[in-house]
Amino acid sequence: MSSDNAQEMPVTGMANRESEEDLQRLRSGEVAAFEQLVRRHHRALIAAARPLVGDEAEEVVQNAWIKAHRALPEFEGRSAVRTWLTRIVLNEAKMLLRKRGREVSLEDTTGGDADPQSWRFGSRGGWALPPRYWQVEGPHEVLSSDQLLECLQRLFGEMPGNQKALLEMRDVSGMDFEEICNDLNVSASNARVLLHRARGRVFELVDHYQETGEC
Amino acid sequence: MLKCTQAVEDANTMHTSKLGWWRRFSLFMHLLMCHHCRRYVRQLKMLLGAVKDMHGEASDEEVERVLKRLRESSGS
Repeated sequence: MSSDNAQEMPVTGMANRESEEDLQRLRSGEVAAFEQLVRRHHRALIAAARPLVGDEAEEVVQNAWIKAHRALPEFEGRSAVRTWLTRIVLNEAKMLLRKRGREVSLEDTTGGDADPQSWRFGSRGGWALPPRYWQVEGPHEVLSSDQLLECLQRLFGEMPGNQKALLEMRDVSGMDFEEICNDLNVSASNARVLLHRARGRVFELVDHYQETGEC
Repeated sequence: MLKCTQAVEDANTMHTSKLGWWRRFSLFMHLLMCHHCRRYVRQLKMLLGAVKDMHGEASDEEVERVLKRLRESSGS
């Protein structure tokens, strides 16, 4: 089979890392297991909250940890722990915004942002400039360079908030797409476009880095 | 016959929500013939696996802040 052959879709990463043994330890209230959980997911949760509540993201996530800690003995493991935690963070963020008389909505600000990969295709819909072959063995090697990670953080900082929120919720935290659309008041068609553009930006960054060694 | 632009869109949709069986079949057939799209799909999958870990682990100080708040909330 060629190295470009990959038709199966599931992807794995840190969000799926808790084993059944980890979950048992968490449910039984083991402090070290909870500490490890915080270490593993805290930054991703803050990143998920930030597009919704800005500088109050840390406060939202702190409150979410308190709720998660109380709810852990009942956690059934039907979704990945990261996904479950993100759902709690999202609820906390919505509660905070309601208190401020605001609502979560990603529906606006889509205009004027072009598809970052449209330049790669010719007028007949075929590749004019196909992606380069990435010299990596698996997901763990894609972002293994500190320089690329820095560039990625910068790219995230510059990305429109609604694109960033969708990328964080769907691809980093693994939340269900329909659930995101309902919770964040965005139509599925709009959310799909936003998410594909966000992925396109990240893809372009990595592709360029693979070719030049620079961002 | 699916164009490459549509194949890229459908490959993304498979990582987003459900794709109907006919579109899945069309994508599969397209990937059998198009090595550029196979490469795109393979690299997109790796990328989406990688972004899950992009934020890294929290520092000792960050963890301690969370645990401290937790202790305060159980004490109150």
